[in-house]
Amino acid sequence: MLILKSLFYILIFPGALFTSCFGLFLAGVDRKVVARMQHRIGPPLRQPMYDFFKLLGKETIIPHAANKLAFLAAPVIGFVSLALIMLFIPVGGFTAFSGNADMIVILYLITIPGVALIVGGSSSGSPYAGIGISREMVTMMAYELPFVLVLLAVARKAGGSELAFSMEKVAMWQAENGNMLFQWSMIPAAIAMLLVVPAEVGTQPFDVAEAETEICEGPLIEYSGGALGMFKLNTAMKMFVMSGLFVSLFLGGIRTGSVLCDIIIFIVLCVVVTIICMSTTHAVTARLKIEHLFKFYWTFVAGMALCSLILVWCGL
Amino acid sequence: MFNKLINDSASKSPWLYHINSGSCNGCDIELVAVLTPRYDAERFGFKLAGTPRHADIVVVSGPVTSQSRERLIRTLAQVPEPKCVVSLGSCPKSGNVFKGSYSVEAPLDNFVHVDVSVAGCTPKPEAIMEGLYKAALILKEKREAMHK
Amino acid sequence: MIQHFPVLAVMLLFLGAFCVEIFGSKNEGIRNTITMLAATIALVLIYALIKPVMIDGEIISYWMGNWAPVSGYAIGIGYEIDALSLFFALLVVTTFWLSGVYSLSYMANDHHLGHYYTLYLMLSGSVLGLVMTGDVFNMFVMVEIMTFASVALTAFRNENEGTLEAGFKYLVIGSMGSSFTLTGIALIYGQCHTLNMAQISAQLSCGGLTPTTVMALALIVAGFGVKSYIVPFHTPAADAYMVAPTSISMIFSGMVNKAGVYGMIRVLYIIFRVMDQSNVQMLIVLFGAVTMFIGVTMALTQHEFKRLLAFHSISQIGYVITAIGLGSALGLTSGLFHAMNHTLFKGLLFLTAGAVLYATGTTNLDKLGGLSKRMPKTTICFLIGAFSISGLPPFNGFVSKWLVYQATYTKAVESGNFVYAIVTVVALVVSVMTLASFIKVTQAVFFGQLPAELKKTKEVPAAMLVPMYIMSALCVLCGIFYPIVNKYLLYPATNAALNVTNYIDKMMGDGYAAGLGVSNIEVAPAAFSFWNPIVWLILFVVIFIAAFIVITGSKSSRGQLLQPGVKYDPKYATFFSGEEELFSQVGGSDLFWGFKTDWKGYYRVLEGLHSGIVTDYAVFTVIATAIITLCMFIFMR
Repeated sequence: MLILKSLFYILIFPGALFTSCFGLFLAGVDRKVVARMQHRIGPPLRQPMYDFFKLLGKETIIPHAANKLAFLAAPVIGFVSLALIMLFIPVGGFTAFSGNADMIVILYLITIPGVALIVGGSSSGSPYAGIGISREMVTMMAYELPFVLVLLAVARKAGGSELAFSMEKVAMWQAENGNMLFQWSMIPAAIAMLLVVPAEVGTQPFDVAEAETEICEGPLIEYSGGALGMFKLNTAMKMFVMSGLFVSLFLGGIRTGSVLCDIIIFIVLCVVVTIICMSTTHAVTARLKIEHLFKFYWTFVAGMALCSLILVWCGL
Repeated sequence: MFNKLINDSASKSPWLYHINSGSCNGCDIELVAVLTPRYDAERFGFKLAGTPRHADIVVVSGPVTSQSRERLIRTLAQVPEPKCVVSLGSCPKSGNVFKGSYSVEAPLDNFVHVDVSVAGCTPKPEAIMEGLYKAALILKEKREAMHK
Repeated sequence: MIQHFPVLAVMLLFLGAFCVEIFGSKNEGIRNTITMLAATIALVLIYALIKPVMIDGEIISYWMGNWAPVSGYAIGIGYEIDALSLFFALLVVTTFWLSGVYSLSYMANDHHLGHYYTLYLMLSGSVLGLVMTGDVFNMFVMVEIMTFASVALTAFRNENEGTLEAGFKYLVIGSMGSSFTLTGIALIYGQCHTLNMAQISAQLSCGGLTPTTVMALALIVAGFGVKSYIVPFHTPAADAYMVAPTSISMIFSGMVNKAGVYGMIRVLYIIFRVMDQSNVQMLIVLFGAVTMFIGVTMALTQHEFKRLLAFHSISQIGYVITAIGLGSALGLTSGLFHAMNHTLFKGLLFLTAGAVLYATGTTNLDKLGGLSKRMPKTTICFLIGAFSISGLPPFNGFVSKWLVYQATYTKAVESGNFVYAIVTVVALVVSVMTLASFIKVTQAVFFGQLPAELKKTKEVPAAMLVPMYIMSALCVLCGIFYPIVNKYLLYPATNAALNVTNYIDKMMGDGYAAGLGVSNIEVAPAAFSFWNPIVWLILFVVIFIAAFIVITGSKSSRGQLLQPGVKYDPKYATFFSGEEELFSQVGGSDLFWGFKTDWKGYYRVLEGLHSGIVTDYAVFTVIATAIITLCMFIFMR
């Protein structure tokens, strides 16, 4: 019974199926909004779905320089870990799995899609991918510090004098005391998190790793067909997961009493977060250089998050 | 049903890969114009891809100079099936004003099966759009032929 | 019967060392038989102690020559094996046994193997003796044997460049560490008139610390700091690990620096019992945090596979020291677990490095590449090790690192001290940097392009693969079945370290500790409630298979392996903007330049400090010892 229940959670809601559907939906929203901001009509909302299915129907070429197992397994591992992360994030008050330190589990699971991209790219044997994975890894190091600081700040705020590395506790605290975002000491952390989200997802201006115009899509250069489709799906899912994480960390206090309404509100908020931190920045900025990206995250963004952490530690 | 979904999608998200085989850049600029807000080919799902492995439609411009021929053929081979080749402008079609030059090996049909040719020096963006759209429909046919 | 096992194991190893030198220097068969016989029997003897010590909670004591204490004074050398000792003894025997098996084929092409196996058995015996002895002077003797065997083994392949230099560095710094330990022990003997750990502990805890004992504490801590290579004592480690034969590098990182960690725990928790003082905790934690950060940042710039692993060893020991410095039961549990996991995954990684060296003749990251096609089994083992050390779920490193964060952050919240929160952040960031540097190795050695001169590389022989398989399996199993590890290994060991009474009573007679007013602390087993990995693993596998079918079911095609001189289909060549396939591997030193540009200033300072000059390193050692001494005196005023 436990296994069946877990299977439902993992495969349908809020795991694989739910996350991929809404991930693709969010990716569509993102493309549409960017297009509208550039005064274009833009593709239909279903466009990422078409892309995904088209790629499934294409031939998957495995170059002779590639290591077949790593090359094909990488996107799947990324997919699985993304589906698992969603189980720890409260979707409008509904959490599939909760533990006393799921924040660290999330932190680690969130690095796995990146690692999968790196291993996949690296195993393809292309030098372009070599450059791409190096950038991806530096990006990962860059956003990890502010991300950790934000999580610690939120945990401290929600836990008070006791340890609370738990999303559930954060949700409960917000249900009692209102949204984390409206605590003034948490505003720098929220801004930092808003900047971490696009770097994690890898949207412009933080898509240095997959710069299609300079290094031919970096780690993805040799991918085609179904495997590429999985990677595109992973990116879309990351959008949903990361915006969902932001919503449950900072805007998780909205409760209507009905689970369905809560879930709808959650999704709406995810769309809003996506538009603010991904579509807008995408539409108005150009791609950064990798060393600038690193410096930006370790000075400005980490500084904001640290500021919040210190404020919270002082009891504000 | 799953197969039908894939077949339907085949024509709705054609990704372009652009190869310049010695073009004067006129056609290339017009192709980019197609993707700008004025013409907005992204409406139909067109997108420029960075590598031939991601491409569905390969757009070839230029008169196929002998220096670029080998590279052109090699790159075309790396595109996964089903794929479509579109020749852009008069050069790959006939050699245009470069015809007869010692270093030009047009037409493109000598080396690869061309699905759609958009003639003109340079073709109008509207014409390019129509050509690409036709190529997208051919993609669907090819996909259906692969999986009946 | 059972109380003879520990001393038998140690004696067998030393006896084996002599026998190898006497009988086996000419004949390969005799040599290997004696070595493996000694190592295997020692392994069996120590494993036989699991049941009484770990499960039944007994403490085994043994007086050499039956010199039992006379009127409350220990006069003989005693062996005392509590759960903490046995925990480390298990790590030691597992490491040296696997290393021995690996050596059989790895070292087969070297000369003077009689000397090698003699030194190998001496090193194994000394570390095993060190973790099981109950006598501080005996501990020092073992430290000395360990140091000199290590020096000789570091310089074993002395026809290679840099081995003698590394041996010399090790000799100087290692001897300084031993001298500190010896001075500390002498001071303690002067104060307490005994060398038995249990008795010293009992006397110190009732008499309180005097200036003499504080000095002794500082010197012994510094001495074991040198043995566990915490920054700034880490300087000889990088060279030694790099040039030593890989089977010995594995022993260094798997047991020699664990011996230092063991010494720290034994001294701080049991002999001096100072870990309840918040200042001491802070000092040790800061040393640990600096160690893990400097270790990992140095590792990021290395171009040499084994040197990189050496810096990671330093960094991971930083985690262990941080965790044990917290002074809490959770901290100690996490530190012990991480020490154990470090032995497993770092041993595995050294073995894969050795396999690469064996198969290709080099460990330079810029010269390697694309080996995954030639050495697939080694690659899989390496990836397991790399993911474990980076702490990715569901491998063992994840669980122990998770516990370290939990412990440091709990400490921060409980004590209200912001420094511990920063330490948590450092630990988390170091983990990502660890991942980064293993990505570098993965790309530079196993993936990427295969250089033409490595086209003929072959997979290593089975005798080298088997230890790697065992280590990989242990890495995965410890990650999945950690509740069992916790129940039977970590909890007893933690309990033993925090409860001194039984330790003293067993050695000195019942009621001895109570008479001096030493009391016990109740320790609850560390709670793991964050996920149920078995259910998860099943689900992981289910989804994995499902998605894999989807991918392989879609039409995929694959080109033939490229043979020299054969025309191949360009369709399956990697994309080079239309050019023919060229060799342009992105090597180890080119990766992460974006990161290095931003850290230019930092690296300039750090590389200036790692000058390679032994006098500099000796100065660091002295300064750090002085700092530790000064701090201890300030704290214990």
